[in-house]
Amino acid sequence: MNRRRFLRQSSAVLAATWIPTILRTSWRIDAPWLLVPMDDVQTDHLKAYGVAFRVLQRGGRGEWFLNYRGGSFLLPADQLTARDAALAGVRVEPLDDDRLVRIRAEIQQGNMDAIPLEKPPRVAVYVPPNAPPWDDAVTMVLQYAGIDFQKVWDAEVLRRGGLAQCDWLHLHHEDFTGQYSKFYLTYAGAGWLADMVQRNTGMAKTLGFPSVPAEKRAVAQAIAAFVERGGFLFAMCTATETLDLALASEHVDIAAAFADGTPMDPDASAKMDWSKALAFQNARLELSPTLPSFSDIDGHQVNSPLRQPLGAFKLFNFSAKIDPVATMLVQNHRDVIPDFYGLTTSFTRRTLKPGVTVLADEAGAPWVKYIHGERGQGTWTFYGGHDPEDAQHQIGDPPTDLSLFPHSPGYRLILNNVLFPAAKKKELKT
Amino acid sequence: MANREPGTGNRKAKPTQRGRVLCGLLVCWFLLPIHGLTAQQDTLNRAMTLERRGDPTSALAIYQAVLDDHPAEINALLGAERCLGVLNRGLEMVPVLQAAIVANPNSTVIDALAIRVWGVAEQADSIRRYAERWAQLTPQDESPYREWGGALQNMRDLVGARQAYLLGRERLNSPDALSPELAQLAIRSNDYPTALQEWLKAIHRLPGYRPSAVRTLSQAPDAVRPGLLRTLDLDQSPAARGLSIDLRARWGDPVGAFHRLQASLPPDSAESGDMLRNFLVTVRGINGADARTAQAMTLEALAERRTGVDRARLHLEAAQVYAEAGDRRAARRMLSSLSQDPDAAALQVGATTTLISLLIADGEVDEAARRLEQIKGSLTVDDYQRTRRDLAQGWIRAGALDKAQGVALADSTVEGMALMGRLRLYRGDVAGARALLKDAGPYAGTRAEATDRSSLLALIQVVKGDSLPALGAALLALDRRDSSAAVKGLERVAEDQPASGAAALRVLAGRVEAARGHGAEAERLFRAARVPDAPASAAEAELELGRLMISLNRLPEATEPLEHLIISYPESALVPEARRLLNVARGLVPRT
Repeated sequence: MNRRRFLRQSSAVLAATWIPTILRTSWRIDAPWLLVPMDDVQTDHLKAYGVAFRVLQRGGRGEWFLNYRGGSFLLPADQLTARDAALAGVRVEPLDDDRLVRIRAEIQQGNMDAIPLEKPPRVAVYVPPNAPPWDDAVTMVLQYAGIDFQKVWDAEVLRRGGLAQCDWLHLHHEDFTGQYSKFYLTYAGAGWLADMVQRNTGMAKTLGFPSVPAEKRAVAQAIAAFVERGGFLFAMCTATETLDLALASEHVDIAAAFADGTPMDPDASAKMDWSKALAFQNARLELSPTLPSFSDIDGHQVNSPLRQPLGAFKLFNFSAKIDPVATMLVQNHRDVIPDFYGLTTSFTRRTLKPGVTVLADEAGAPWVKYIHGERGQGTWTFYGGHDPEDAQHQIGDPPTDLSLFPHSPGYRLILNNVLFPAAKKKELKT
Repeated sequence: MANREPGTGNRKAKPTQRGRVLCGLLVCWFLLPIHGLTAQQDTLNRAMTLERRGDPTSALAIYQAVLDDHPAEINALLGAERCLGVLNRGLEMVPVLQAAIVANPNSTVIDALAIRVWGVAEQADSIRRYAERWAQLTPQDESPYREWGGALQNMRDLVGARQAYLLGRERLNSPDALSPELAQLAIRSNDYPTALQEWLKAIHRLPGYRPSAVRTLSQAPDAVRPGLLRTLDLDQSPAARGLSIDLRARWGDPVGAFHRLQASLPPDSAESGDMLRNFLVTVRGINGADARTAQAMTLEALAERRTGVDRARLHLEAAQVYAEAGDRRAARRMLSSLSQDPDAAALQVGATTTLISLLIADGEVDEAARRLEQIKGSLTVDDYQRTRRDLAQGWIRAGALDKAQGVALADSTVEGMALMGRLRLYRGDVAGARALLKDAGPYAGTRAEATDRSSLLALIQVVKGDSLPALGAALLALDRRDSSAAVKGLERVAEDQPASGAAALRVLAGRVEAARGHGAEAERLFRAARVPDAPASAAEAELELGRLMISLNRLPEATEPLEHLIISYPESALVPEARRLLNVARGLVPRT
C-alpha cells in the first residue's frame, strides 16, 4: 500500500468513526448565536466571563445585554465557542435571528441595553514576585475564568511606559504606605513577613529610594498617572485605602519608624493633601504603629477594638441606557450580597469625595462597599474586603477553591470590572 | 334600732361616710406613687418589648417620655442609650445625660453611663472627669477604671486605655487589679507576651479566668508560640503550668501536654482528679489521633485514682479510645487489667465487644468468635449480628469462606443478604451474586458499605458470564488485600470478556494499581479501557486517567482525557467531576 492510499483509507476510517460522534455531541450548534444567560439558570457564572473574554481574544465580537437575564452575553455560535462553553460547564442557549430580534425589542423597551464587546483588555495584576498565587481574589478568579493576565510589580510600574502595555490594572492587598500592612511588630519573626520586608527593602534600594514608604508612594503616583492617561484601575482590600493615603501624603510622613526610620508625624491627618487622592478625603490616620489599621476610611476596622460585625451589601440599580458603566459594574444575579472582611472592608461615607459613585452599600450603615470614579481620561473602581467567599479570611487560611463557588455574586463584581473595558468606547457616558 | 328616726340615722351616717371618703383619699394618697411606679414599669416594659421586636424608634419615644418626667430614671436612661446606639444617634444622649446628672448628681450608675456617652462623643477629658468622680465615690472599686479604659478603647486610644487601667492598678494598690482588661487590651494590640503575663496574674487571682486566657492566647500566631511556652516553662506557678498544658494541647501536642500534666499532678487525689478531668474536656474537643491517644492516657490516669466500678469503667473507656486511636497494644493492656478486676463484672460485655474488634483486627477471628458466643445472651440481636458480620469479614480476609458463609446463612438481614452475595461472587457464582446484591439494594449498612456494594454490582452487571471462578478469586484476593494477585486475576478475566466487561475490569485493576503507586501500570490499564464500545467504562477510565496524571504532576497530559470525556459523554454523571479535575489540571483552582 503506498503512502497516499494509506492516508486516504485511514482518513476514511477516522471519518467514519469520529464524525458521527462529533455530530452527536451537544456542543455542536446550528443556530447563528449563543446566548449566555446570567440569571439563575447559568451553571457557572464565573467561567461565563472567561468564555466571553476568549471570544474577543480570538478576534470575535460579542454583546453584553445589560440587565437582561442577569447581564447575559450574546456570542457567535462558532464551534470553538460552543466547545469552550461545554468544557467550562457554561450554559449557553442557541439563538436564531428571530428570537434575537425579539430580545432586542425587549431590551429596547426596558431598563436594559446592549453593549458591544469588541476588544479584550490587556489585564495586569500588581503582585510581588513569588507571592502565594491563591491569596488574591482577583488572581484567583482570573485564573478560574481562564482570563490571561500579566504580573507587574514596582520595577515594571516605575519603568517609563511600564504600564503602557496594559489597559486594566488590578491592585489587591498591597500596602502603599510601605508599612507591610502594619504587621511588622505583631508578626515579628514570621517567615513570610521577613521575606516581604527583605523583598521590599531590596526593591526600594534597587530603584534608588531612601525607604520603602518613599518607593511605594512613587508607585502609587505612577498608578494614578496611569489612570489619568486613560487606564482602568480596580483595587480591593487594603490597596484601596493605602493607595489614596500614599497619594495624599506627598509632603507628610505617615509611616511608622519601623518602616522608614522616623516616627509618623503626629499631626499627619491635618497635613494630608486630599486633592491628590482618587476617592477619599478628610480621613483621620491611625497613629499606633502596632494596630493594623491605617485610618478611619475603613468602616469595619477588622483588626482593632472598633471591629464592626459583617452585614450584607446591596447593589444599586442604574439606568442602563444613561449610565452604562455603572450598570456594567453591578451586573449580577443577586442584588444583596453577604459582606466579607478585609484589612480594609468598607469605606465610610464621611470620607468619600463628592464625585464618587457608590455602586453598593449596606443600608443604614455609615459605610459603603463598592465605589467608582474617574480621574483624567481613566476610571477607578474600589471594592472593599479580601475574599468574597471567605468572609473571615485570616493569614495562613487555606485558599478558596472557586469551583465550589461557581455562582459567587461577590466574585462576579470583580469580573464585571475585567470585562467592562472591552465595551465599545463610544458607549461609555459616565 | 328599727324605730330609729330617719333623720337621726342620717346624722349618724354622715361622719361615717366622710370618714370613709377620708380613708379612701388617704389610701389613694399612699397608693398613688405605687400606682405611678407600676404604670411607669408597664411603660418601660412596653418599650423593652418594642426593642425586642426591632423597633428602636418607638421604644426610644417611650424612654424619652419617661425621662421628660424623671430625668434620672436609670432604666429609661439605659434604654435610651441602647436605642440611640442602634439608630446610630449616640450623640443625642449628651443632653439626656446632662439632665440626668442635674437630677441625680451622686449616682455611680449615671457616672458609668456618662463615661460611655462621652466615649461615643469622643471626649476624652469628660470621660476622665466622670471616671475620677466615680472613683472618688467608690475608692476601692475597679469599675470606674474599667469603664474609663473601655471608653478609650472604643475611641481607638489603646495607649490611653492602658494608662487608665494602670492608674487604677496603682491607686487600688493592687498589682493584679484589672489584669483581665490589660490582657485583652494586649491581645487586641497583638502583644501576646504582655497578654500572657496579665492573664497569669488574673488566673492567680481568680482561676476561673483560665478558659478565657486559653481561648484568647491560643489564637497567637505560630511565630510567637514557642516564646510564650518558654515563658510559661520558666514560671513554676500552678497557673503557668495549667496554661502551658492547655496551650500545648491546642497547639498540636496533646500527648506532650498530657506528659507535662502527669509530671505536675499533686499528690492530693481530689485535686489531681480535677486537673485530669479538666484536661479530658480539653482534649475531647480536639480532633486527630494524637488527641485520642492523649484522651485515652488521661482516662487511664484517672482510672488509677479511682477504685471499684468507676475504675473499671474508666479502664474500659480508655481501651475503647485507645482502639479508636489505633493503639491496639494499649487497648489490650487496658482490657487485660479489666479481666483481672473483680469490679468489672458489670462491664464484661463492653469489654468483650472491644476485645472482639481488636482480635478481628489482629486476625484472631476464631478466638473472637468464641468470645462473642460467651456474651451472646447479653447483646441485642442487632449488635450480635453486626458483630457476626464483622467476624465473617475477618474470616473472608483469612480465606475461610465456609465459616463466613455459616454466618451469612444465619443472618436474615439485608446486610446478611449482601454478605451472602459477596461470598457467592468469591466462589465464582456471578449470577447468584447479581441477584443477591440487587435484592440487597443500595441503602443498607453504612454509606461506605452501600457504595462498595453498588460498585461491585455495577461491575458484575457488565461482565459477561454467570459463572466466573477466576473473577471470584481475583475479587477475593482484593478483599484479602492481595493487590498484586487481584490485578493479575482481573486482567486475565478481562482478556476473555467483550469490550464493556473488559473495560470495566481494567478500570478496577487500574484503580488498584494507582492506589498501590504503580502509575505506569495504572496508566496502561486506564488507556486500554478507553474504548468507544464501552462508553460507561471509557468515561470512567478517562476520569481516572486524568486523576492519575494530576497525581503524577503530569498536568498537560491530564487535560486531553478529561476534555474528551466532557465533550464525548456530555450526559455522563462523571462530567462535573471531570470539569473539576480539568480545573485542577489547568491550574485554575488550588490543588487541595
